[in-house]
Amino acid sequence: MQKPTYGVVLFHSTQTAIKAEKILKGAGIQIKLIPVPRQLSSDCGICLRFEFDDAQMIESTLVSKGVQIAGVYPL
Amino acid sequence: MSKIVDARGLACPQPVILTGKALKESDTVMVIVDDETPKDNVSRIATRKGYNVKVEEKDGDFYIHIQKKNTVSEEVVASPIPAPEGDLVVLISSNTVGRGSDELGEILMRAFMHTFMEVEPKPQTMIFINSGVKLAIEDSIVLEDLQALAGEEIQILVCGTCLDYFKLKDKVAVGEVSNAYTILETLLQAGKVVRL
Repeated sequence: MQKPTYGVVLFHSTQTAIKAEKILKGAGIQIKLIPVPRQLSSDCGICLRFEFDDAQMIESTLVSKGVQIAGVYPL
Repeated sequence: MSKIVDARGLACPQPVILTGKALKESDTVMVIVDDETPKDNVSRIATRKGYNVKVEEKDGDFYIHIQKKNTVSEEVVASPIPAPEGDLVVLISSNTVGRGSDELGEILMRAFMHTFMEVEPKPQTMIFINSGVKLAIEDSIVLEDLQALAGEEIQILVCGTCLDYFKLKDKVAVGEVSNAYTILETLLQAGKVVRL
């Protein structure tokens, strides 16, 4: 299977997503705030899209700052 | 063969993802959830995808029976929305969406601008007036999206008076600087105008 270009990280609230965006931008990681893709859910609002190679760095950065992640998915 | 998905105790969007996976493998799926929210989400998405959905409640759990409809009704669900006559024009008169919170309004604007590229139909023209012009300048929060839309042959009109008012005239990064005549003509001749 081909490696996905992007992944998304989902959160339990809009406020958490906003906080996570600030942290990741501050850490110089390329991300884009987008609506949660339809195939994942229709109700969970916004998420952050990232380049798939950065997946581990994103998870560890957020975990180290105590940000709760609802899920990480390939796009 | 029917499949059973036990999604009790799982948080959104897990039940929906598991249901989607199961439906790829089987035409008949039963999903078990233990809360109203996943029950509603799973039911709604299956209904929208054209499946028959029946929900049973037993001991506080919900048993969602999802079954593929016959092909005829699926075609009805998949029929495209007829395009309106005349151009579709999107009017953006603020750099945020809605009223109440500007922080949230900015998030919504970014989410919508990203999604324009992913949904149909595409507008023929997007018009930016008042603080909406701040979306079309160099350090715009949605510049990447607007550039992609411009690349899809969508005309982007940016109000010159507004740029001048905000002293941003030399900062325009996408679209064409326009005036009251062109903007009003475009709106008056449109088949449909959508305001964000």
